Amino acid sequence: MNAPRRIAVVGAGLAAVSTCDALRAHGYDGDLVLYSAERGLPYDRPPLSKNVLLGKDRREDVLLRPEQWYDDQRVRLREGTVVRAIRPRPGGVELADGVIEPADRIVLATGGTPRTLPVPGGADPEIRLLRTWEDAQLLRERLLPGTRVAVVGAGLIGAETAAVATTLGCRVTLVDPVGVPLAPVVGDDIATALHDRHRAEGIDVVTAAVDRVERRGRRFLIGLSGYGGTVAADTIVVGIGIRPATQPAEAAGLRVDDGVLVDADRRTSHPAVHAVGDVAREAGRRTRHEHWEAAQRDGEAAARGILGLPATDPVAPWFWSDRHGTRLEAIGTMAQAERTVLRGAVDSGAFLALGLRGERVVAAAAIDRTRDIKTVRRIIDRRVTVDPSALADESTDLRSMLTR
Amino acid sequence: MSDTTTGVQVASVGDIEDGEGLRVPAATTGLGADIAVFHDGGAYYALDDTCSHGQASLAEGWVENGEVECPLHAARFCLKSGEPQCMPATLPVAAHRVEVRDGAIWVYPGQRAAG
Repeated sequence: MNAPRRIAVVGAGLAAVSTCDALRAHGYDGDLVLYSAERGLPYDRPPLSKNVLLGKDRREDVLLRPEQWYDDQRVRLREGTVVRAIRPRPGGVELADGVIEPADRIVLATGGTPRTLPVPGGADPEIRLLRTWEDAQLLRERLLPGTRVAVVGAGLIGAETAAVATTLGCRVTLVDPVGVPLAPVVGDDIATALHDRHRAEGIDVVTAAVDRVERRGRRFLIGLSGYGGTVAADTIVVGIGIRPATQPAEAAGLRVDDGVLVDADRRTSHPAVHAVGDVAREAGRRTRHEHWEAAQRDGEAAARGILGLPATDPVAPWFWSDRHGTRLEAIGTMAQAERTVLRGAVDSGAFLALGLRGERVVAAAAIDRTRDIKTVRRIIDRRVTVDPSALADESTDLRSMLTR
Repeated sequence: MSDTTTGVQVASVGDIEDGEGLRVPAATTGLGADIAVFHDGGAYYALDDTCSHGQASLAEGWVENGEVECPLHAARFCLKSGEPQCMPATLPVAAHRVEVRDGAIWVYPGQRAAG
């Protein structure tokens, strides 16, 4: 293909901005247009379920890049501009008013929309979801002291939201059909400690599936299956994952299967279209990597692919989550491990779980062990052979294992 | 300990292991801000301790290849210049001059590090 001269990036989250950043960093000198469906400068999403919901961070505190950056990097930000369709041939993006703006490369960074509860009453627009700045503002208005808040879904967003609501003085019920959420990712020990913490903080933890939501005036009644009774709530917030925003890709005939399918360079089934972030799924991987750092790395990978540069070495995926003043971090997926080794005492609250296959660490999760996680990530990425008993021994310096 | 050129002796060689950082509290730096002093492969560097992105102490970060990686969100900063090397940081942290004399590590808060 010819060298790109006009690149359209559709979406304005971390993956989109990272793509622009990496394109410029690697010397791309042509036009670069960032189409944002929302108004205002692009922002970072992790704070939405943390400090934004708490009221500590304002919009200007969570910007991905300062305003000046868009001028400096010659990134043309089209705020409030919805891309209705993509036209890989002859090359352009179609806006809501039908105007087609030319582009010789398109990067889809359309993210996803939060799933609503697939039960009667589950699509009620008064049920809050959390994905955008506006979502966070709408939810925050409801989190008043004494309010009964039902959080449905105890994954990362749900757990963080439940913790914030508790901090704000709400009476919180956390509903999930899984007894110990996150266990496949972080392992049983960490997942149990995390979930128990909700109870210790006064959250009413309910293990049940929602089977209906009914309005009672301004309040809600949540029907549960596998659980005797219902949950009454003034506010419901649902965090049960996202649906990737694949519609423009599908309409353009791109291969889509739980995400826009991409190769290691984030190239879709059309050579002029790349997809990054939550909307993309790498062919051969079972899941989309819906995490912050993955979105950032996607931008780098796509930029390299577009510019014909060699790919960087893959790294084990990492994410973090903050709740109740503690920090969860995980690398890789614990389900890939044959056995688990713990470092540190579970009842101390701060410990590390390492997932091993043979003499290699393949996954890890930790509560309040930030530095250890950094070390373990390098142990994983550098494929260091380890002695499992040394890993479990707190008197052994983890970092020293890297330098052998 | 400080001297007339406003340098502060923060540690002795050997106090900070290779790959580690030491947080020097604001009361010692006289600057109103904590400073982190890093040891990377025999060389010492000093940056403002608080990450330019979030509330994190860079002294707790991962030091390697001339950079420090923030403990919270993995933003990396150049140890020499304080310039951010990746997201989520977009702003630099101040870099301060460091000198090693007679086995002592001196930091000059507010004096720019030599490029």
